[in-house]
Amino acid sequence: MRLNLISKDITVSQSVFSLFFPVSLIIIVVSLVLLHPFNIAAAVSNPAATHLSKPEIMRLGERMYRDGVLPSGDPAPAFIRGDVEVDSRAFSCSSCHLRAGLGSFEGGVATPPTTASKLYKPYRRPPSIGDIPDRAGRYTYSKTVLERPAYTRETLAKALRFGTDPAGQIFNDIMPRYPLDDSDMDILISYLESLSLAPSPGVSSREFRFATIITDDVNQEDRQALLQSLQSFIDQKNHQLALYNDFVKFGYTPTIDMKYSFSQASIDVWELKGNSKTWQGQLVSYNISKPVFAILGGISNKSWQPIHDFCEAQRIPCLFPITDLPVVSATGWYTYYFNKGYGQEGEAVARYLHRLENLPVETPILQIVQDSPAGRALAAGFEGSWHELERPAVTTLTLTAQQLHDQTSLNKLLKKHKPAVLLLWTDAGPLPNLTTLVAGLALPGKVFISSGYMGNKTANIPETVRSRVYITYPYRLSPYVGTRDSAYDATIPTLSSAKDFGDRRIASRTTAMLKQTLLRGLNLLFDNLYRDHLLDIMSTQMDQIVRDYERLSFGPGQRYASKGCYIIQLGAGANPALLPRSEWVIH
Amino acid sequence: MKRLSTLITPLVLSILMAAVLPATPVKAETVKYKRTLERYIIPDLALINQDGKRVRLRSILKSDTPVIVDFIYGTCTTICPVLSAGFTNLQSKLGATGQNVRLVSITIDPENDSPKVMKDYLKRFRARPGWDFLTGSRADIDVVMKAFNAYIPDKMSHYPLNMILVPRDGSWVRLLGIMSSREFLEEYQRVAGKR
Repeated sequence: MRLNLISKDITVSQSVFSLFFPVSLIIIVVSLVLLHPFNIAAAVSNPAATHLSKPEIMRLGERMYRDGVLPSGDPAPAFIRGDVEVDSRAFSCSSCHLRAGLGSFEGGVATPPTTASKLYKPYRRPPSIGDIPDRAGRYTYSKTVLERPAYTRETLAKALRFGTDPAGQIFNDIMPRYPLDDSDMDILISYLESLSLAPSPGVSSREFRFATIITDDVNQEDRQALLQSLQSFIDQKNHQLALYNDFVKFGYTPTIDMKYSFSQASIDVWELKGNSKTWQGQLVSYNISKPVFAILGGISNKSWQPIHDFCEAQRIPCLFPITDLPVVSATGWYTYYFNKGYGQEGEAVARYLHRLENLPVETPILQIVQDSPAGRALAAGFEGSWHELERPAVTTLTLTAQQLHDQTSLNKLLKKHKPAVLLLWTDAGPLPNLTTLVAGLALPGKVFISSGYMGNKTANIPETVRSRVYITYPYRLSPYVGTRDSAYDATIPTLSSAKDFGDRRIASRTTAMLKQTLLRGLNLLFDNLYRDHLLDIMSTQMDQIVRDYERLSFGPGQRYASKGCYIIQLGAGANPALLPRSEWVIH
Repeated sequence: MKRLSTLITPLVLSILMAAVLPATPVKAETVKYKRTLERYIIPDLALINQDGKRVRLRSILKSDTPVIVDFIYGTCTTICPVLSAGFTNLQSKLGATGQNVRLVSITIDPENDSPKVMKDYLKRFRARPGWDFLTGSRADIDVVMKAFNAYIPDKMSHYPLNMILVPRDGSWVRLLGIMSSREFLEEYQRVAGKR
């Protein structure tokens, strides 16, 4: 729900409106009181939801706020633009005010905060350029009012129902009006009173505490690549703070932006040891002994699932860990991933095959899956997407690394299934036999492999079969022109050759995350030190062009920033060119 | 009596407040949205609809009935739900009178808006047949935005825009801004020649 917007959409002229405004408001208020099916005054003074427990009120309030669903389970009724009824499930409070309730600015619409802690205080802002109409014809459709008095429970209920603030200023029509009954209104307002109330753990106006997570299967080199990038970011933040302190000491007055841009930062390393089933307990104890505001990066060769689950349960943001095995979920909130890892490569193959116009629907496809987390993730990505495209299931064989080495039985399997397309979700093990495997395929005889899983040995694919082999490649192919912001360094190689397949790009990806997305989020927090707000800000940022991916893009609820994966083929020679056979994003 | 006073007090207060407060904070303007008549050259390229089908933009925008085009995206927070609620409402109002309006939403977030995302979006807005949502490669989407003089480098800086194809001469009514449902219907009926 959007509160407090000044309406520009009034059809009468200024002078007429000024004259009739008080009278019209009286008429509106009187008629609404008399005609409305529920009793407005009783809504607040005699809350009907008092029989519910506090946690129950919060649960129901959260559902109204986030999902637009009433405690009864029905969609909340709402009206926009005067007479358009909207389904609140498609357009809930959090659609615009976002999860932390601190508002947003999108599409020329300024959505102010809707937390009671902000609403119950008077509001005043300096005039801004958006207050003056833009001669080019693009103007700010709605902006916050210049000032208004503090809300009370009573005036807040009125605002939600009738769209006027305590000073009688009418909201923009985009803000829905909610004809809620007393009990539902009471629940929603109680939720707003608790929303983003106390700052999140691990942060104060002076210091941000962060952690990173490293599991004990990570080698020393990878570990150092991550830690150096993180430490350099923390050092830089603290260095800037020292400069800022000098600035103030010398008598300069900081701007508001500066005031909130500099703060102490520290980072702990949360090492996870042993079986991943024990990680949850280890994480809980780290978090109890020294809670952090957010987890920056991290690295593991195992599935990120236990860490993902911990972050969801504890509501801690986990920003862009280095993992090929992320949790692929439409509802995960707290972990931001670079992409869907191996799953994204499998998806790309499904979409690529689906779009091939000369591939008959009945083409036999065989999926050979190495019995490993990587193999299974590639297969799951392919199958999920293939199913979504309403294609018939393919034949899948899961084999151990040892079975994959047995050329005779592999040939037998090919003879039995006679595939025309082979998805080979394996490591480099079967590569020496690739020529025989290709020869065993029916026409058109295409093999799909993963550049990440096969690794740098992929460059050794014999030239005679390169025209038959298609490779998933989830990284940038076009030349990268960096900016100062992205800490671009022309001396760092861009890793776009077959010999770099399997390189995890730990330092460059982590640095891009810190400097191109996190920093922006931290600087825009100002004094709203809430984890959910950080995620809200990060999810509404502009797209980022980064070294490793063609593009990182964002949006509320989007949690996989890089959406692309090329299907490529290798050119000729010992250092073959990477030849794109698809778009970056395949639909 | 207590109940009566709880009912009346806020009412009296509201009336008093309304009488006392100056009305000047509310700026009234007669123009709510900007209407212009435009000519666009529709690029001849293929986009993908919510069913995953390739469709040629020129052929779906070649029509002897009005077609309304807007630019939205699946996870947009603020103006897309308003634009889409306008589409839902127009479909239901015109549907009730037996008119079948043709609506085309084009994504400005082509990387995220897959057919599945678009199909779910349309379902959420209770779209009926006749409302298509199109995606494509970023390069193609850029070409389409430019053709409609609606290019934005980043989806976060978009603005509310509806365009109605005038079938008799192939021109377009460009409506910049948020309209009420009544105004939207009137604009459509003007083009459809119903009023």
